[in-house]
Amino acid sequence: MKAVVTIHLLLLMLYVSITPVDAASVTPALPGLSTISEADIREYAIAFVNMSTSPGLEGATLTVDNDRRQSDQWRSSLGFNAEFTLKNHIFNGYWGMAIVGGRLEDTIELIADNGNPVALNITRDVVGLRGSLGLSFPIDKYFKLRPFLSFIVSDLQGDLILDDQLVQDYNLPTNRVKTTAQMWSGVGTLEALYNRWYGNYQLKVSAQYQLNYTDSFSEENPILDTAVWNQAAQFNVMFTGPTRLSSAARPWRWNTYASYVNFLSTNKTALGYDSYLEVGVGLDWEMNIKPFDWFGWQYLGIKAGVIGGENIEGYSVGLTAR
Amino acid sequence: MVGCCLVLSACVQAPVIKEGDYALLKSNYPVVSINGTETEPAYRLDIPAGENTLVIVYDTYRFDYYCTFTWKAEAGTAYEVTDQYNKYPLTLYRWVRTNSVWASRLDPIDPQDCSSEPRRSKTPEQTDDSQ
Repeated sequence: MKAVVTIHLLLLMLYVSITPVDAASVTPALPGLSTISEADIREYAIAFVNMSTSPGLEGATLTVDNDRRQSDQWRSSLGFNAEFTLKNHIFNGYWGMAIVGGRLEDTIELIADNGNPVALNITRDVVGLRGSLGLSFPIDKYFKLRPFLSFIVSDLQGDLILDDQLVQDYNLPTNRVKTTAQMWSGVGTLEALYNRWYGNYQLKVSAQYQLNYTDSFSEENPILDTAVWNQAAQFNVMFTGPTRLSSAARPWRWNTYASYVNFLSTNKTALGYDSYLEVGVGLDWEMNIKPFDWFGWQYLGIKAGVIGGENIEGYSVGLTAR
Repeated sequence: MVGCCLVLSACVQAPVIKEGDYALLKSNYPVVSINGTETEPAYRLDIPAGENTLVIVYDTYRFDYYCTFTWKAEAGTAYEVTDQYNKYPLTLYRWVRTNSVWASRLDPIDPQDCSSEPRRSKTPEQTDDSQ
């Protein structure tokens, strides 16, 4: 059922995309398409953008592999966030900024309504810029609540290549459709953080809820002229300890972490998954600098993790900055 | 380009330290006691070189943590106290201007003690000064 929905969804997207180009050469409606809503199509595109640009997610390579769908997705970000002191207030300020990018290569095999096997190849690229601003409320020395707002602008490029057999069967004018869309998102995040030391070992736990509003504009595909609400939740735990290593008289610390992400309101058919768990290890160098004499940058690190979930596996390797 | 360089060169300034045997202390949280003498909350102080004992308050919504730092300040040196998810709520660093883009926080010193008291009833008045 899941594969069928995805198939219809993609066919409808193709149909809508090419209709303005040459309506006369296209059949009036593709069989079975009436069962698919435009909301499904929006969700497919916007889920990918949100997955790539949401705050709190770092670099990852994900693979979805089931009977009829092979999908590779990359996500990476270069950014930083930090607190800044508001003197004479108990709460601190919080800011963040990041450049994010993502790529999706999706191959979906299907049986057309006439029984012929066909395949769809979809490539999507997104580049975005994210800025966050908020407050951090220390409840006590261990526990903080941090609400913040993020504003994201992103550019989505899509490329759909249709199986020749499908083009022939439905008398479509082209086997390739390119789509672009520009999006902005507003994300409200509430984060709870717990930080505690046990001797030289540190435990950090955080939970995050995000409410995401995305407005999309596309001249080529009217279905992507839309606005969508989404929700996501994350839970992270990290344990760190000392090492005997040091560089430039600054110590290194090891860490091990686990991170669970759930895209609460995203249908699993959109990306092939709606949640995943990442576990990994890392090394952090306590370089402790203060760029522009404004905010503290305590750690520069490397990390490697594996990602798993229903229909999904992947890995994560990258630099971290805290 | 020239404007960019001017902006960058203005980012991290060398600290202005009182002449003589003094050091500079910058704190993101209020200093309320200097060498045993209570003082009005201060965030920037000229302190005499040599051993000093300062009490700095880290406020939270449930408790105020009074952190006592005792260390030997060197003349002509800048120090900074901030919070960084370390063992104690506050840490004292030697602050060094590395270049025009960033400064370094070196030689961390933990407080001798951070005693907690229920939150003060006083609500601080608002004068924002981001750092």
